[in-house]
This record gives sequence, C-alpha cells and structure tokens, in this order.
Amino acid sequence: MTMPVMRTPRSVDLAITNRCNLRCTYCSHFTGAGDVGQELSKKEWLRFFQELNRYAIMKVTLQGGEPFCRNDLKDLIEGIVENRMRFNILSNGTLITDEMAKFLASTRRCDGVQISVDGSVPITHDSCRGEGSFFKAMQGINCLQKYGLRVSVRVTIHKHNVLDLENLARLLLEEIQLPGFSTNSACHLGLCKQNADQVQLSVEERSLAMQALQQLNKKYNGLISATAGPLAEGTTWLAMETAHREGSEPLPERGRLSGCNGPMSQLGVRADGVMVPCVQLSHMDLGRINHDDLGEVWRTHPELTRLRERRSISLNSFVYCQGCNYINYCTGNCPALAYEVFGQVNHPSPDGCLKRFLETGGRLPRLSDTNQ
Amino acid sequence: MQDLEKPVANPLVVLREEFDDWAVLFDPDTGNAFGLNPIGVFVWKRLDGHHDLKDLVKDVREHFEDVPNEAENHVQNFIQTMAQRGLVGCETLK
Repeated sequence: MTMPVMRTPRSVDLAITNRCNLRCTYCSHFTGAGDVGQELSKKEWLRFFQELNRYAIMKVTLQGGEPFCRNDLKDLIEGIVENRMRFNILSNGTLITDEMAKFLASTRRCDGVQISVDGSVPITHDSCRGEGSFFKAMQGINCLQKYGLRVSVRVTIHKHNVLDLENLARLLLEEIQLPGFSTNSACHLGLCKQNADQVQLSVEERSLAMQALQQLNKKYNGLISATAGPLAEGTTWLAMETAHREGSEPLPERGRLSGCNGPMSQLGVRADGVMVPCVQLSHMDLGRINHDDLGEVWRTHPELTRLRERRSISLNSFVYCQGCNYINYCTGNCPALAYEVFGQVNHPSPDGCLKRFLETGGRLPRLSDTNQ
Repeated sequence: MQDLEKPVANPLVVLREEFDDWAVLFDPDTGNAFGLNPIGVFVWKRLDGHHDLKDLVKDVREHFEDVPNEAENHVQNFIQTMAQRGLVGCETLK
C-alpha cells in the first residue's frame, strides 16, 4: 500500500533554540535527543527560510527550548514574513513582554502563541515549572490578548495538578475567557523519564483525570481538546470499548501502526539544524539544513519513507498485541513513545495501550460523562 | 476583464504544488488557501502581465485535450474570482 506523499511538507517545526529559562521537571526536550547543546546562528536560519519559501512551505512553528530566549527572535520572524510564511510559537509565556506582543501582532502573520499553563494557582503551576512562573505566564497571556493575538493554552497534566482541573478550566475559560484549551500529560520523554515517580500520573490518577476532563468538556461544550493524554485517551478508549462490546467491524485505519500522520505533512528541525521527522523523534537524523536539500530529504530519505510505511504494519505481527481484544480498533499509538520504551519506532507504544491500562486497574470514564 | 487585460499573479501568494498537477494557492497575509485543479495551475503560472484572456485560453486549448467551448468563460471567471480575493491584479502605468 503506497500513500501519496505531497512534494514538500506543508509545515515545519523549528527548534530555534536549545535554551530555556525554566527546567520543568517533565520537560520532553531536555536530556532527550533534541537537547543538542547548541543552536544555529540567525544567518543560518534566515538562509533556511529562503529554502522554505522556494519549497512553498506555508507555516512554521517556533519552539525550543523557549523561543523567547533568543534576542534575535524579531529578526527571525521578519525573515519568516519576508519568505511568505505564517508562524505560531510554543512558549512558557514567562518572557513575553508588551513590546514583543505588539511586534508579533504587527506582523499579521502570527497564527497564535501556545502558552503552557498547568494550574489555576501558583502552587500547582509552579510545582513542576519553578517559583514565579505562574504569574509571569499570566502576564504573558495578558500581553498577547491586549494586542488581539490568538492565545492557545496547553495544560500538561501531572501528579500535582490532577485535582486542580476544575479550577483550571474555570480560570482559562471563564476568567481569562480563552476560546478553548488543550491538554496532554507528562509522558515518558526527556526529563520526565528521570522524574517519573514525582510527576507522571499513576493509573488511578489517570483514571481520575480522564473522568474529570470528560465531565468538564461536557460542561464547557467541547472547548477542551486533546490529541494525547487523558482526555484523548478517554475518548478513544471509550470508542474502542464500545466497538469491542458491540462486535463492530474494524475501525478505519485501525489494527495497524497508524497512530501518527506527522510524516505525511510536516517535518522538524533540531536547534543544531538537523532535520528530523518530528521533534519527538529527534534521534532520527535526516540531514542538515543548508547542506542537504529539504525537498530531496522529504521525498527520498529512507528513514522517512519507512516511517510513512509504518501504517501498513499489522498489530497482529507484534507479540505485545497478541490476544488483545481491541486490536482491530487500535492505532498502536505514538512512535516516539514506542521508541523510548522499546528502542524501535515500528512498535506499538505501551503508554497508550487500553488493554494494559485496564489490566493495571485503570477505569474508563462513564459514557454519560462524555460530550458524545 | 476590462481592468485585468493582462493579469498578474500577486507575488506574495504562494503556489504549492502538492500532488500530481494539483495545487494550493496560499495567501500568507490572510492564511486563506484555495485548491487549484491542473488547468487552474496552468493558468496561474501564466499570469505574468504578458498574457491576455485570449492568449490564456489559446494556451489552455493547446495544452489540454477536450477543452469545452465555454473555456473562455471559465478562465475569465477564474481570474475574476482570484482578483476578488486579492490574489490577482494588473500592472499599472505610472
């Protein structure tokens, strides 16, 4: 089965810096393969933006580290604008000033700034992010909103905020009046691997988070979104459980390693200029920007091709999945998490395994609590 | 095409050829994207200020098979739609 691949990626994730002013205890970047200890000069990024223009890339996502650590961020953004792209930024929000927000708005090319907010009060937010970071993040959001920029908040759920979700939703949706927010959870990447016992949700906490998020999403009419973490898992797993109970036909694209569409439309670049399929798969060196041709890498690199063909691999071929009742409804989940656990990308990830979750005492949310 | 005798593609607009001869026109200032079929792509690439409607239709007829009689109307509508969206203009004499 050959999937058609577009000529070039639509968007590129750029880790423009390896630096960050915080050291969140669950950070997926530090100590991971993307933590490269160096970053490209402005000149090199600007040269690369010209190539992105030639290849008609529509959008870049600036991330790091913390993008606002770069003193030349404005110059980089001007380069993005000159090269006919739009951008968004992933940030902890603590370094965003009024002047920077005004500049971002003035470009008229900013699709949004995603700020990490993990608690409704400093004690929960700062527990993993460091003292003082809550108020600074709130100030950052305030600056962005002042200039009409789209602010999206990402909540990473961990041991210290799992009981704060109701207050957090109230803060973000009612007090700050965001149009919505997204959630995930501390997962087995980067610093979180070292600090798993202190930050990662237990099965019981994961069940609680799942239930709470489903109830909150019902209350707030679906304003909470997720592609990973307890909310996404609760929704997906309930659908899998229902399909299994009703003996449904295999769900479309399921029963195979289809858990990731990233390599079909986007690419990543590490802070040192190495192209990777995704910043969570930073160990996969596809070539170096300004040395290797992006279009050539995108179309012909064997590792990227292998990653795209991953979705043709049946879950039945894995010992790990044998005897699982959910196999026809499962995607095998995130390849980056599979790599972290098994050392191979072409393997289902146990982190998103419903069977394992239930066997270890996990409980699914009640269907009546969902937004379905 | 009274005001667009020899139309010019807005140079800020990105033509993204994705699969086969199909493409997306992307306006980075608005974030809007428009799908183009192969004939649309062909015409877009000729919006250089040197081709008028008759040239464009003639080129389409030479390049594609089974071009319908109403092709001129189609090309004209295409250009006018693109102009309404700010993707096409015309060069003006100073």
